[in-house]
Amino acid sequence: MRRPDPKIVRWGILIALLVAWELVPMTGLLPELFLPRLSKTLTVLWIDLDKYWAALLVTLYEVVLAMVIACGLGIVAGATIGGIAVLRDLLLPVFSSLYAVPIVILYPIFTAWFGIGSQSKVMFAGIYGFFPVMLSTAAGIRTIDPQFLLAARSMGATVTQQITKVIIPASLPTVFGGLRLGGALAIIGVIVAEMLTASAGIGYLVTLNRTILDSPRVFAGILCILVLSVAYDIIARRLERRMVVWQSAGRRQQQASPRPIAQGAPAPAAA
Amino acid sequence: MQYVADMKAAQTAGAAIDIDRVSHVYAGPEGGVQALSDVSMKVGAGRFIVIVGPSGCGKTSLLMMMAGLRDHTEGRIHVHGAPIPKPDPERVGVIFQEASLFPWLTTFDNIEFPLSLRGMSREERRRRSEPMLSLVGLTGFGERYPHELSGGMKQRVSIARGLVQDPPVLLMDEPFAALDEQTRMTMGHELLRIWSTTNKTVVFITHSLTEAVYLADEVYVMSPRPGRMIDHIMVDLPRPRTYEMMATDTFGRLRDRIWQQIRKSH
Repeated sequence: MRRPDPKIVRWGILIALLVAWELVPMTGLLPELFLPRLSKTLTVLWIDLDKYWAALLVTLYEVVLAMVIACGLGIVAGATIGGIAVLRDLLLPVFSSLYAVPIVILYPIFTAWFGIGSQSKVMFAGIYGFFPVMLSTAAGIRTIDPQFLLAARSMGATVTQQITKVIIPASLPTVFGGLRLGGALAIIGVIVAEMLTASAGIGYLVTLNRTILDSPRVFAGILCILVLSVAYDIIARRLERRMVVWQSAGRRQQQASPRPIAQGAPAPAAA
Repeated sequence: MQYVADMKAAQTAGAAIDIDRVSHVYAGPEGGVQALSDVSMKVGAGRFIVIVGPSGCGKTSLLMMMAGLRDHTEGRIHVHGAPIPKPDPERVGVIFQEASLFPWLTTFDNIEFPLSLRGMSREERRRRSEPMLSLVGLTGFGERYPHELSGGMKQRVSIARGLVQDPPVLLMDEPFAALDEQTRMTMGHELLRIWSTTNKTVVFITHSLTEAVYLADEVYVMSPRPGRMIDHIMVDLPRPRTYEMMATDTFGRLRDRIWQQIRKSH
């Protein structure tokens, strides 16, 4: 049997979910307080559109600044730590452990330092997104095939040329993976911070409407965040594909290569 | 015999590579490790030299020293009449075991990499890389990325990259080791074809005795660490070499002599 096109299946699942969102509350399977209908959610979103739009702009502004901090600091710190052996041995384990700490517990301190406005969100989310960027940049530089550098040196590359023409392009795929993750964490950081202590932004609207049990408006906020995250992922993916042609091309080729094992057949034991 | 005359001619003309009593000690965890011991060799211009020896005997180190990529503690290495304290791509081209092509560059850009390091214009680079591409038999593959090429094709690109600056000396560190047997034979033959049209001095490292005899004018055999030269064998098979020669007694005798030398040294 021919396998259905995964693209069609994906859209099918999405549409099914949206239909379920409308039908489940309508049939009374779930009370509307828990899950308001899709149509109702969209209606309140339409009514309060300028309010949500203003909140989204605030969130977007904070997210962009946080991403700049996360990516900028992350790349600089990652390159420094990954490139210098002493720093790497000294700091990399520390940063790796710090990555595991739920930094959100520090958010009250951020509000004490930077107030409850945008500044505290930007700083918090920037640091939240900083870690994966820094760690993957360090890893990207550390794992460069030494043969590349040897070959470049044999062709007369200066140290600067080794950095610009070998180290940077060679580490780009790993760095990009970290940037994507760091960007996503920056979004999460901003939203979480807005939900905790804020006076504006989508996260703030969600919390506000939750306290007054206005479910449709809570879900309208959630919908905005969903759209924001998905849009970010699409843009990041596009950018990555364009920047790292050779890598994504390699992946495409791998996917295109015929599988020797028939679907459903037991996998052979690793030789 | 012919090779004696060749050697005489090379010596009067000044050797392309002159290695004089080179030793090397590097710092190991338990004090100094002697990697090379009193290695000497004189390579005439335009000769095809193969170095064989057991793993870890220091043959790659020796090659890296000829490329200016590694220091030695004692002795003298001259390439075309001068020491080589750092890489000089106009004197020496290096081809490595793994293709070491940059996966983010197309075939054209890989071949032109050494030229781009010198800030050469795009047109000029292309003007130089195109004939190299056709020399190695890859016309039409200039816009492909390395992952779109087979192992043999990658090594062809590697050879083109080594030749693009037209250095008189080409150093090859087990360039075909990662290839399958058939591709390896084809590539050896291709290399001889390219070599015969370019007049390069080649120093080639391999583990394959058949490859050594098939390619070389002269074979140097090295001992296990500390690496010394234990034999220097003239391969007096006519050129161009053909696959049929592998079945001849001379070929077998030469291969056997190398093998006996390597075996004795253990």
